[in-house]
Amino acid sequence: MDNNTYDAIVVGTGISGGWAAKELTEKGLKTLVLERGRMVRHGEYPTATLEPWQFEYAGRPTQRDLERQGVQARTGYTITQATKHWFVDDVDNPYTEIKRFDWMRGYQVGGRSIVWGRQSYRWSPIDFEANARDGHGVDWPIRYEDLAPWYDYVESFIGVSGQAEGLPQLPDGKFLPPMELNCVEKYFRDVLAEKFGRRLTIGRAAHLTALLPHSPQRGLCQYRNRCMRGCPYGAYFSSLSSTLPAAEKTGNMTLRPNSIVYEIIYDEKKNRATGVRVIDAETNQHHEFFARVIFLCASTFGSTFIMLNSVSNRFPNGFGNDSGELGCNIMDHHLNVGASAEVEGFDDKYYVGRRPNGVYIVRYRNIGNDKRDYVRGFGYQGHAGRTGWTSVVTQDVLGADIKTKAATPGPWYIYLGGFGEMLPYHENRVTLDRTRTDKWGLPVLAFDAELKENERKMRKDMMQDAVEMLEAAGFKNVRPFDAEIGVGLGIHEMGTARMGRDPKTSVLNAWNQVHACKNVFVTDGSCMTSSACVNPSLTYMALTARAANYAVEELKRRNL
Amino acid sequence: MSLNPTLDRRELIKRVAYLMGGAVSAPAVLGILQGCTAKTPTGTWTPVFFTAAQAALVEEVADILIPRTDTPGAKDVGVPAFIDLMLKDTYPKRDQDRYLEGLNAFEAGARARHGRDFLKLDAGTRVDYVRHVHEKALLGMRTGATNGDTGQQFLMMTKELTLLGFFSSEVGCTQVLQHSSVPGEYRCVPLAEAGNGRTWAE
Repeated sequence: MDNNTYDAIVVGTGISGGWAAKELTEKGLKTLVLERGRMVRHGEYPTATLEPWQFEYAGRPTQRDLERQGVQARTGYTITQATKHWFVDDVDNPYTEIKRFDWMRGYQVGGRSIVWGRQSYRWSPIDFEANARDGHGVDWPIRYEDLAPWYDYVESFIGVSGQAEGLPQLPDGKFLPPMELNCVEKYFRDVLAEKFGRRLTIGRAAHLTALLPHSPQRGLCQYRNRCMRGCPYGAYFSSLSSTLPAAEKTGNMTLRPNSIVYEIIYDEKKNRATGVRVIDAETNQHHEFFARVIFLCASTFGSTFIMLNSVSNRFPNGFGNDSGELGCNIMDHHLNVGASAEVEGFDDKYYVGRRPNGVYIVRYRNIGNDKRDYVRGFGYQGHAGRTGWTSVVTQDVLGADIKTKAATPGPWYIYLGGFGEMLPYHENRVTLDRTRTDKWGLPVLAFDAELKENERKMRKDMMQDAVEMLEAAGFKNVRPFDAEIGVGLGIHEMGTARMGRDPKTSVLNAWNQVHACKNVFVTDGSCMTSSACVNPSLTYMALTARAANYAVEELKRRNL
Repeated sequence: MSLNPTLDRRELIKRVAYLMGGAVSAPAVLGILQGCTAKTPTGTWTPVFFTAAQAALVEEVADILIPRTDTPGAKDVGVPAFIDLMLKDTYPKRDQDRYLEGLNAFEAGARARHGRDFLKLDAGTRVDYVRHVHEKALLGMRTGATNGDTGQQFLMMTKELTLLGFFSSEVGCTQVLQHSSVPGEYRCVPLAEAGNGRTWAE
């Protein structure tokens, strides 16, 4: 074994890569973990404890920031003085938009697990059966029962606070104590139950509301709601706070940051991947690393890029792309549609603390006897709170009165934003654009994806239902919204190397193995066969742990 | 990743964008520095964007918007310098120009109404004039009738920046509003039991 050879290689250190690293190293494999971005260790969060008055520009981005990160700023909340260092430089990392596409990403150890929304929901049996039932996309090669024990496993390790609800469309998990609903949210929950038979529950969030004995480096949530800066308490799950420390503890992990994997090395005679090719992001030197098994966890489009860019006689159209589906079937959750309202009658109530979590209204469309003119469904994420000083800007208040008015908590409001399922369309795809290159001379990705009729019909319900529910609760000044969005803004990109039963129509099998090259596993969002309407990260974790376990068993059986 | 935008901020951005006559967006070239060396009348800061005369006017308007009371005012906590820096570094050129155009219109309005430059009016008249422009701006907003008065837009942009600067200052957060760095819990409580009952800064 030379010093470039390992038992396993994991590409990426985000949510999926961290899990692959933990599982493979804990099972005894000498594992090289490659991350294209810079090194970050748990606790190295430069803005985590800064107070509001310690940020220049009141935290807002400058024009200079936007020159470098204008694409990353499209969400409106990602590029701030508190968080901009977790997102890529768009000038160094360009991509082509055949149609508008919002690709938000962060290149550093920990990836986007540092900035994720932490909402953690299981997919339901209904979600795994949806494609087979209505004929969109291809059938999942697994069912809920295949993944359920792995959901148990990852939830127990990361810590998910939540409330069991006993609903078939949103299976309960292994929950830590739930966070609290405030008085307006409780009232609204009761209205929805009584008048609509719909369920509002506190968000299921990967925050510690109880300590985990197996992760002594992690502390309880302090309700600061500064999570996107990185949590010095380790209170929410990230690769940095949780899985990478576990992997490091085994002594089996070699972590190499600044390592841009751009190609899988394929041995045609053995029909095996033997390793990966890397550009050092700092020195621009090329390296090769070898292993018996490779886990691609570079994010949906990161892994898809590596596969598209790995061309050989055997795979002229991209690695493992016999089906022609590699890069196709881009999915996201479509959002920025819903309604908000003002709430009267609770002015004698307020709250202490900044809850880093909201409420969730569980999917009810196309469930049971409900039938719509579209397939699949949506959930809502939202919250209620009291307005702060900003409402004074447009009030008829000047002078000393501004202080008095701003210091008096403003009216309660409630906000509901839909998260809708997006169907897998073959023509929604990403390809390589070889006419352009990034800072390292690599070709860039070109996106051509859009929402279609099913999503547009669903959005009508997403807006109208929100209005109907808020009005039924007696809330005032109900304001619907439906912002035109490109695909990607949900930052839940999925589907470009999908799992399936048939190698002719899918890239990966039921174990996340590339159909045509069994020692390569892809376990990030690219593997997803459909998108459901719930946040997908927990499912990536469960799939990754399951695939890693299988890979090690196959190694032991000498099948890999 | 899930969104957790505060309604406050979304609404604010929308409303201010409306006041400015369109969406605030598009990266643009940095503004040209003007009058870098001139000190303001108070002599406490050196503008990097405004001329000395512009700085003096903005300083006065900000201090009328949030004066010193039993707690410090906008001028005391450095809001004028904050506005100057925000305009230089965070505003695209188009909005910088719109702001300065509005400032001139605001000045011209003072001359038309009161017969002399804003800063040469007595203190009471200055306050009256700011209130007058403010009322007209709010009326236009409520009725949805944008009469394109850039002086009104200037005042509302200055109000937004003054409040932003003041309530993101330590004084604004801790002496006027209340702030808790590490709350340690989230509970819904009677208003009287929510710290000192004031609005939370963060």
